[in-house]
Amino acid sequence: MRSRADLSAFLMQLAADIGAQSYLLFAVLHERERHTGQIISSNWIYDAIELCGLDFITRLAGLATDIGQAPRSIRPDEAPELPGIIDGETARILCVLGHNELYVLKLAVGRRRYFLVLSCGEPASIRAEQLGRAQLNCCYVLSTMHAMLAAATVRDPLSDRERECLSWVSEGKTTEEVALILGVSANTINAYVASAMQKLSASNRPMAIATAIRSGII
Amino acid sequence: MKRAAATKMPPGNQDAEAANGPAAGAQGGAAVAPHRTEPPHGSALPDAVRRCRWIALDLNATGFAVFMAGPSPDRPFLTPCFDHAYPGVSPQTRALTGDDRNGFVEHARQSTMPLRWSDVREPAPGFAALDWCQDIQPPLPGTCGIAVPVHGASHRVGLVVFFGPSIELTRDMFLDIHVRCFATFDLLVKARPEAGRKLAAISKRELECLRLTANGYTSAEIARMLNLSVHTTNQYLASATLKLDAVNRSHAVAKALRLELID
Repeated sequence: MRSRADLSAFLMQLAADIGAQSYLLFAVLHERERHTGQIISSNWIYDAIELCGLDFITRLAGLATDIGQAPRSIRPDEAPELPGIIDGETARILCVLGHNELYVLKLAVGRRRYFLVLSCGEPASIRAEQLGRAQLNCCYVLSTMHAMLAAATVRDPLSDRERECLSWVSEGKTTEEVALILGVSANTINAYVASAMQKLSASNRPMAIATAIRSGII
Repeated sequence: MKRAAATKMPPGNQDAEAANGPAAGAQGGAAVAPHRTEPPHGSALPDAVRRCRWIALDLNATGFAVFMAGPSPDRPFLTPCFDHAYPGVSPQTRALTGDDRNGFVEHARQSTMPLRWSDVREPAPGFAALDWCQDIQPPLPGTCGIAVPVHGASHRVGLVVFFGPSIELTRDMFLDIHVRCFATFDLLVKARPEAGRKLAAISKRELECLRLTANGYTSAEIARMLNLSVHTTNQYLASATLKLDAVNRSHAVAKALRLELID
């Protein structure tokens, strides 16, 4: 497994093997207060995600089944509204697009979490009893493509120097201490941290550090 | 399957095992137990031990151990939860406990792929044929075995190890077993009220202030949002910083995030 094409092929096969028509693999990025879904691979028709909204995809993560738990069937056609996650309008769109039954599986790949949505047009055509194995199998495969997934889900706008400064600051070092460690002036350190803050659109140091840790930069 | 192996169970435990009925072990076995509801927290550990015993039987493993990985990124460390000698501790568990010399923790943080080793002359054909495991140097001489990474709530990382002279398993069976390991680990993590003593000491209010600080709010803004005085907010943040053994706010936020006290 090297490329995105391999990943798509694998997910396509996995979906077919358990009776699902579509798959959607996504990660949730934590940036400041927002949790944003980042789609990694999907065969939903082009407009579907636009119509449902990326926020909806992100909220689906809240319904995810952990490995080892009995999978939960979501039926937009029967019980259209799930408070806080699916509203009536979204449920209607899902049904029109042929997602009458969905399963959301949480994938653990090391410490990272991904979410796999499997859906079918004809309810009950997904073999729920096989989902547990498929879920874990998917974790194995994603484990082999760690670098590619990290590149797809981590946004790292910082320069090496900025990252270095920020990671010292996150260890509790003051500007003067970091200056001493890196052998440059305090003003330079402040400039690095300021530009890192700007790139991470953070309003102060704790927020810059929080953003960097949440997105896995430091 | 290896039902005859049931006689290998330590005496005195058989009745309890049969009475409670394992999640998946009963099929094809003598005991068909009624459906069991979730146990209360107090019994989580014995229940987890029981589940692992059944898995070990299915694998024909003579020993097992469950570990939790320490949270420090710089120092990979394994803390034992329990093993086949429960409530005692087996020498194999002792050998693996502490600083992780086998790279288990490093692996489990990156990957969910099972690890396999073999230090016996003739491993069982099914075991030798497993194709998707990663092979490692035998951590326990004279055995063959597997080590599966498990992941629980709030990013807890663990490792379940099974070993013995002749482990037997197939791919499908292994997927099921790994799923059961996840479920067992989940049980353990949820039964732990907190991941450490320090975490329990930090109050909800302190965490709330810390969370808002991480989101870029100043003390004055937090005070307004939580209907507190600025002074109280600062006090909460100061005491959280102290409890986290941090030197300033940025440090406290970083530590809280890394310990997954806030997300």
